Amino acid sequence: MNLILFTFIVLLGFTSYYFGRRKAYTIQSTNKRLTALPQFYGYYLAIWCAIPAFIIFSLWAIFEPTIVKLLILSDYSNQGYLDDELNLIYEKTKALSRGQFTGEITPFIEASAEKYLSLRSIAQSSKAVIVLSIIIASVAYAYKKISSNSRTREPVEKFLKAVLFTASLAAILTTVGIVFSLIFQTIDFFKVIPLFDFVFGTHWYPAKAFVRDSSEALDPTMYSDTFGAVPIFAGTFFIAFIAMCVAIPIGLMSGIYLAEYASVKVRQYAKPLIEILAGIPTVVYGFFAALTVGPFLKEIGNSMGLDVSAESALAAGGVMGIMIIPFISSLSDDVITSVPQSLRDGSYAMGATKSETIKKVIFPAALPGIVGSILLGVSRAIGETMIVVMASGLAANLTLNPLESTSTITAQIVVILIGDQAFGDPKTQAAFALGMSLFLVTLCLNIVALRVVKKYREKYE
Amino acid sequence: MKKNGVKMIKINSKNVDVFYGKKQALFNINLDIEENQVTALIGPSGCGKSTFLRCLNRMNDVIDICRVKGQIIINDFDINDKSCDVVRLREKIGMVFQKPNPFPKTIYENISYGPTIHGMAQSKNEMDEIVETSLKKAALWEEVKDRLHEPGTGLSGGQQQRLCIARAISVKPEVILMDEPCSALDPIATAQIEELIDELKKDHTIIIVTHSMAQAARVSQNTGFFHLGELIEHGSTDKIFKNPENKKTQDYITGRFG
Repeated sequence: MNLILFTFIVLLGFTSYYFGRRKAYTIQSTNKRLTALPQFYGYYLAIWCAIPAFIIFSLWAIFEPTIVKLLILSDYSNQGYLDDELNLIYEKTKALSRGQFTGEITPFIEASAEKYLSLRSIAQSSKAVIVLSIIIASVAYAYKKISSNSRTREPVEKFLKAVLFTASLAAILTTVGIVFSLIFQTIDFFKVIPLFDFVFGTHWYPAKAFVRDSSEALDPTMYSDTFGAVPIFAGTFFIAFIAMCVAIPIGLMSGIYLAEYASVKVRQYAKPLIEILAGIPTVVYGFFAALTVGPFLKEIGNSMGLDVSAESALAAGGVMGIMIIPFISSLSDDVITSVPQSLRDGSYAMGATKSETIKKVIFPAALPGIVGSILLGVSRAIGETMIVVMASGLAANLTLNPLESTSTITAQIVVILIGDQAFGDPKTQAAFALGMSLFLVTLCLNIVALRVVKKYREKYE
Repeated sequence: MKKNGVKMIKINSKNVDVFYGKKQALFNINLDIEENQVTALIGPSGCGKSTFLRCLNRMNDVIDICRVKGQIIINDFDINDKSCDVVRLREKIGMVFQKPNPFPKTIYENISYGPTIHGMAQSKNEMDEIVETSLKKAALWEEVKDRLHEPGTGLSGGQQQRLCIARAISVKPEVILMDEPCSALDPIATAQIEELIDELKKDHTIIIVTHSMAQAARVSQNTGFFHLGELIEHGSTDKIFKNPENKKTQDYITGRFG
């Protein structure tokens, strides 16, 4: 029903566009000059069709359920039901009307369900009638209003601006919403677990929290030594460090090669090839790390008499580094290429060789941008999840041995939230606290990186 | 400068052709440059004067599609020969560009760049001395001596260009090539640079590309006029400006085209 209505409104929109334009042509044919191109008259009418439709649909979506619920429950008023019971009755009614009710059917509820269905169908048809009549009225009004000197261009431009504004507002509001959902759960978590224990504790063992029987009262002391985040923070930064040890030298050197040494032809093929690395899904990197690199390192280690875990920080960090190479190489390539040719010329004219020029002039000039690209790489390394979950183990060891397994913030969030969870449980809330800290760390890194990149840009423009 | 009444030739170019890909940019250029004189290259845009200038220190090597044919002899040595060491060549032949292009480093580092590359200073004191003399020669010392360790990009346009000149003379080149060095500067800065050029010709041979006829007349002793990739006429500046042989030269100088 809604779909048909929607299709109808869209068709109406196209029709009003057509009529608007036709009227404009008609005015034009009487040798009057229009204030805008004929299309604008068309768009103008289409907007007069779209906006009322949108408003009515939204109002309906907001108020219809509430009104229907009030009408249904009015039958049950003054009978001494509690609010919760009324809600239950309403839910039962809805379920019955959909034929999904499995409990005992009482005549009352059956009657309510019938009433519910009839109310819904009345609502639907009245919506259709109201929407269509208002649209037709508004389009007709606007159609009449169009004349040779009516302003259509400005409203159309304003409408476009409003649409674009709404789109960006939606993105921003989503971010804010996510942050808030993190904040409240995080605050709840820290009500049970002291912030000090979380930041400085060295034992991370959330599984312990599952042992609690949910009927027992919450006893904060039983969580001491359970949510100490030091091992996973250490693991996160350790793995990110290994990743950057791989990504920075290789990424930078390939970036320099592409920007300064590669011929146009080589660059044309090499750059997209390197960027393919960025297109590989991280889960593929994950099983590459877990099933190929991990066992390979273990074998090599064993043959050298070293005790290497199959899920080592080295395997996860190394593969993560490979994943980050294209970011660093591509960004630093761009940054180096945008160093003005005049600086290169100046250096060559002094008799400097290519490598001297790169080392002493181009690299320092591009350094802020390169630092920016590295920071963006670090924030990816810290936020990376799949590779770590698959390749570096889930036990939070506090270790600096790259051959042992260790765990990261992201991997622990996955561990906590996979399977059954209870809301309001410290174990679940721990995931939010971790998410919040991760968010803060990457946010700071991104802000610093963007600042640095921006500063660099100003220098040459 | 004349030695025993004979003109000393610093650079001798014979049958120089330059190609960008398939397009020929210079046709059979034969031009002698006198030692310790200022030679101005004039001509309308795209006539090849900058291209010729860039042949003299092989800066055209930087451009992939550019090919240079013919002989350019400096100090009895053909710089287009395979055995020519470009690093040594560019040490002997400095260059100043159209737009001031100081490195994004301190003033001191801008000057010490060349001497460091060529290993010309054995100690910090020697380097300080090179920096000071170069800046003094470029008439910039008084203005910057108290802020040698501030970035060179913070100077004004005219100061930046003099910094670039100081950078070029820091390695004591025999020849200085200037590619429209004043086109980005205001008249006062231009006058300063022109004065400087006159000063510099005592120790260096200078070749300057310019769009300003007045500038060519003011600073140069010799002038070459380029048109459509050919050297139309060259000789003493006096003669070119007062009594040109070629009609095209006369038309260009009197402003009838270009």
